[in-house]
Amino acid sequence: MNPELSRRSVIKVGVAATAGLILGCRIRESAAATPQGSADPFAPNAWLRIAPSGEVFITVAKPDIGTGVRTSLAMIVAEELGVAWESVKVEQAVADAKYGSMMIGGSTSVRSSWRPLREAGAAARAMLIEAAAKKWGVEPGSCRVENGVVLNHGPEKATFGELATEAARLPVPTGVALKDPKDFTIIGKRLPRVDNRDVVTGTAKFGMDVRIPGMLMAVVARPEAFGGSIASFDEAAARKVPGVRDVIKVSTGIAVLADHTWAALAGREALAVKQDPGPNASVDSESIHKQLGEAFQPFGDAPEGKVVEAEYAVPYLSHAPMEPMNCTVSIADGKCTIYAPSQAPDAIQRSAAQRLSLDRSAVTVHTTLVGGGFGRRFQMDFANEAVEIAQAAGKPVQVVWSRDDDMKHDFYRPASRNRFRAVLGSDGKPVLWQHQFMQAQAGRGTPNWGREEIPYQIPTAQRMTGGARTPIPTGAWRSVSHSNTGFAIESFVDELAYAAGADPLEYRKSLIADARLMATLERVAKLADWKGPKPAKGKGRGVGCFAGYGSYFSMIVDVTHDPDLGIVVNHVYAVVDCGIAINSSGVEAQVIGGVNDGIATALKSAITIKGGAVEQSSYFDFEWLRMNEAPKFTIEILPSQEAPGGMGEVAYPPAPAAVANAIYAATGHRLRTLPMNELPE
Amino acid sequence: MAQFTFTINGAKKTVDVPPDMPILWILRDLAGLTGTKYGCGVGSCGACTVLLGDEAVKSCLISADEVEGKPITTIEGLSADGSHPLQKAWVETDVPQCGYCQTGQIMAAAALLKAHPKPSDSDIDDYLSTNICRCGTYPRIREAIRRAVAEEVEER
Repeated sequence: MNPELSRRSVIKVGVAATAGLILGCRIRESAAATPQGSADPFAPNAWLRIAPSGEVFITVAKPDIGTGVRTSLAMIVAEELGVAWESVKVEQAVADAKYGSMMIGGSTSVRSSWRPLREAGAAARAMLIEAAAKKWGVEPGSCRVENGVVLNHGPEKATFGELATEAARLPVPTGVALKDPKDFTIIGKRLPRVDNRDVVTGTAKFGMDVRIPGMLMAVVARPEAFGGSIASFDEAAARKVPGVRDVIKVSTGIAVLADHTWAALAGREALAVKQDPGPNASVDSESIHKQLGEAFQPFGDAPEGKVVEAEYAVPYLSHAPMEPMNCTVSIADGKCTIYAPSQAPDAIQRSAAQRLSLDRSAVTVHTTLVGGGFGRRFQMDFANEAVEIAQAAGKPVQVVWSRDDDMKHDFYRPASRNRFRAVLGSDGKPVLWQHQFMQAQAGRGTPNWGREEIPYQIPTAQRMTGGARTPIPTGAWRSVSHSNTGFAIESFVDELAYAAGADPLEYRKSLIADARLMATLERVAKLADWKGPKPAKGKGRGVGCFAGYGSYFSMIVDVTHDPDLGIVVNHVYAVVDCGIAINSSGVEAQVIGGVNDGIATALKSAITIKGGAVEQSSYFDFEWLRMNEAPKFTIEILPSQEAPGGMGEVAYPPAPAAVANAIYAATGHRLRTLPMNELPE
Repeated sequence: MAQFTFTINGAKKTVDVPPDMPILWILRDLAGLTGTKYGCGVGSCGACTVLLGDEAVKSCLISADEVEGKPITTIEGLSADGSHPLQKAWVETDVPQCGYCQTGQIMAAAALLKAHPKPSDSDIDDYLSTNICRCGTYPRIREAIRRAVAEEVEER
């Protein structure tokens, strides 16, 4: 669904305490979410503020977890407003109901903000023109805007700063014409992100860099097994560690508070906690895998033709963002202040207010820069725990999760097994496609056939979803369920191509209905000079396609089977149609990030369960791609006038399959279980 | 607890800490230098990379008693104003995504250029493969190093 269609925007205006123009753009999320007649039914998604000095401030309500929204969303406002990009200062919104959903995820930020942010910028531009026209006694239609200046046919000109106070007194226009995309001067440019300078000088403030007076650093000893508990701990020993100030039992474990992080970590060590694994001690990856297998159903009758069957399995994955979970909380005088590297600051505000029995307005949530999200930071657990500890301590506290805390207490991408059956007609094309998708997560799903959403035209394409209940917490991970099914679907269609004796790229072309996806595939074939999947002995090329989140993506990956090094991924060719690309540098960055995640999880990364707990603890056993393993990229963005699509997810789903398809081409081994870290003898 | 004196970014700093306290936490929690990041604490991610003399080290693995007297350079000491060729190249190449690992990547690259002013691709692999970028910015890191090298050559 196009998020634009479910939203309409209303513009409101007010005069700021400091003179100048403030324009809030309010997005109505949906009628159901914001009932008519309530006191605060709308919420601004972004603000622009023009000071009499001429400074332009654009507020971004969405957290930037690395997808670049602090740059791209501000670019949209700045474009319609008509200011020079260099004059814009970006501010991060403090959580407030007026912003509506501040959540970032599902590649929705640009898609849902595109129209309302343009309208906010355009309305402001119209008001500044109106103010200038009045001042000069001319028709607004005779005025235009260039780089923060209103101009007339004559010699008159006035800067936005000069006009701001007057403009703020004007009624807010509705239905202001938006710019023709051919007149864009900011959107579509290749712009470095606004935080680069702070990042490279070390002055950027992530959650862990927050320092407030009098705060203690805290770490928590938690039960290792899901559903387990801490049987005993040595509080006195922890208190003897120099720098340790307090030891507090909280709902998640035992918190050790200290003057600095190292003392807190040493204090936790001194606790010498004894673990009680609880009721899930026998749960392991093998038992979960078996449960998933038991969820499969018979496929039923099939039409005449060549039957192809295959099963694909993917493991649990941790999000493992570079910045581990952390949160800083100060509670005093009936007020709570939170600094959180979060994907949902408004949800943290609501949650903290409820826990502390405070009005939402008494809880201030600052969104810091966020050292990676990938879906992990939708969750409230790390903020709720910090609120509980700060309340119990009676002092400001920064709760820091060590890397192993973060890895062992995640909400994991669920493991899954995917069983397929297809029947090929006499032309080699499938007449029936059936996919059973069994995930290890709470909720069993329905054992009924639904429609399989694939970009391929097949007379009958069905999916059955189900799975197994397990005690392992699961959550959204880059591209959500597509992170499982993308590998399975794009591997299986490749197998069908070989079963039909067809070139895997040409076979896809014969099945793709959507013209935009087709264009990306045809272009990437040219870019990579595709002449088949087996260019030379020991080398292989793999194809992958994906349409979703409003974008279309095709890729070809080249691998070499090196006798010493194993599988080496050499080069990735990628073509994306994401509608209007707000910032081509950001779009390419998301392609690189999504594909590199795909390669890492194709070849290396897995979370396994033993004794009801996660076995991995850091980047040495939950491995990620490194510089010496990263391929070269050739990326092209197709020009488009369509509304922008999402970019955070689209490059991930086909990438592990493209690698598997290339490995098959290079070695003859069809690997159906991730990670593909071993080739058969 | 014991007293240790370090030279951090050219300035003397004396701290009273346990001898096994890693430099990472001295920098972040006692010296106020939060540009050096905590990523894993066990030397497997490189987010905490600083220079000890001209060598890149994982500051989470080096304790107070191992460093006394040796000069430490953190990202804040690479240049005060972001004018180091690597910093400029990082901005222009638009390397950062989330940005969290990038100070460590830049410090690893700084050590690379001290040892290999004109690094080969395999030199880059050798020096930078100790550092993880979870966002996968590797192609741009490589490009930024190349850009910084080119600028250095131009300035000579």
